[in-house]
Amino acid sequence: MTAARTPYGVGIGWRPEIAGFVAGLPGLRFAEVVAESVPDDGELPAGLDDLLGRGVAVVPHGVRLSLGGAEPVQPERIDHLARAAARLHAPLVSEHIAFVRAAGVEAGHLLPLPRTWEAIDAVVANVRRTRERLPVPLALEPIAAIFDWPDDELDEGAFLTEILERTDALLLLDVANVYANAVNRGTDPAALLDEIPLERVAYVHVAGGAEHDGVYHDTHTDAVPRAVLDLVTQLCERHRPPALMLERDGAYPPAAALRAELDAIAAASGFVAVT
Amino acid sequence: MSDLTPAGRGATGVPDPATGRPARAGGAQARPGLAARQAALVDALTRGAPVPAGFDARRVEIARVALLRKRAGEVARHWPMMAAGLGPGWLPAFSAWAAARPTRGSLRDGWDLARELLARRTLPEMAAPELAVREATLRYDIGGLRPRRAPAVRRVAGSVAVQAAGRVTVFRVPERPAGRTR
Repeated sequence: MTAARTPYGVGIGWRPEIAGFVAGLPGLRFAEVVAESVPDDGELPAGLDDLLGRGVAVVPHGVRLSLGGAEPVQPERIDHLARAAARLHAPLVSEHIAFVRAAGVEAGHLLPLPRTWEAIDAVVANVRRTRERLPVPLALEPIAAIFDWPDDELDEGAFLTEILERTDALLLLDVANVYANAVNRGTDPAALLDEIPLERVAYVHVAGGAEHDGVYHDTHTDAVPRAVLDLVTQLCERHRPPALMLERDGAYPPAAALRAELDAIAAASGFVAVT
Repeated sequence: MSDLTPAGRGATGVPDPATGRPARAGGAQARPGLAARQAALVDALTRGAPVPAGFDARRVEIARVALLRKRAGEVARHWPMMAAGLGPGWLPAFSAWAAARPTRGSLRDGWDLARELLARRTLPEMAAPELAVREATLRYDIGGLRPRRAPAVRRVAGSVAVQAAGRVTVFRVPERPAGRTR
């Protein structure tokens, strides 16, 4: 799995709104694009082609597969993700440990799973179905949850480790999600880092959030808190992943602020700045 | 919520995963399967159904409201004139409409809302051309939204969109007494 060994350094989530900014990052070697925004055929979104031409690795990141759904993952969604990977010459693809629909009803968001053996079986079966149709490795991302299910049988570290071991998938670790869950559960964010297989981390998401009504929301539209950057450092002290990327999904700040966030991730991880 | 702590782990009797999974009964109460439980949670978040037993109702409500805010932002990207026309009233208007309607896609959700606001005569004037253009260029079908092949003329309040071969022009015309899409 070269994807897990090649050090890409600091990257960014490519979005149409910041395509110009991303195109102007001289040291960029890694980016991610929402898989559902990559068309099956026809022209790629403007700017993505240029990144590929520069040799930037672009990873499709799925958000609609619903790998944690009790129902089998829909083959046409897997095939779209596979085509996106092929079109982008991606070294890997990623999706979430979550469900987004049930009984045909769309939730409109990534929802947490009960941490039960039954849910693990569902995820493992869906990851197996997905990997059978994918040309490249799959990295799984644990999500931020505002609430938990009432009858968890495993803690988060054991739940994730079991899924990764049984699927042999890579891990997309979102340190902002780790931070959000720890704040909202009243636990130590760094503790999870000692409970999961960090050598499986293919890349890392870093994102901003905000606290409302005593709950931390992983918004992707706010600044990255200092505490999340500190968690990046704590992670890299244990095992530095090949790539860490800023994930911003709206309320885009001026370029200088985005550059500062990328530089802060570089400083926290010890990678060179890409700006 | 505290089962990441050693105390919580011990107190709930969760087995060490290294020793293998527990017997299915495992002291747990019989409960519906994962599919039914996921469906009940989605219904609570998208259709106003009761929060399933055992969940922290306050946290689920916070998630439900956050989900509506996220949906409102996504629909506003597809329907910028409607959102801008309603200004601070956009989030409340969208949330009231969407609270018991699971998403059918941001473009479709905004379309349904725009038609409803038009029927109630509360669609902002600046949003009328946006709706007229959509009506003239896209086919609203059960199976999804598809480009219209045939030429079309659609009127929304004081805006008329004329589409031929995919190109669309919008005219302003005097208002008719009742705003209708066609």
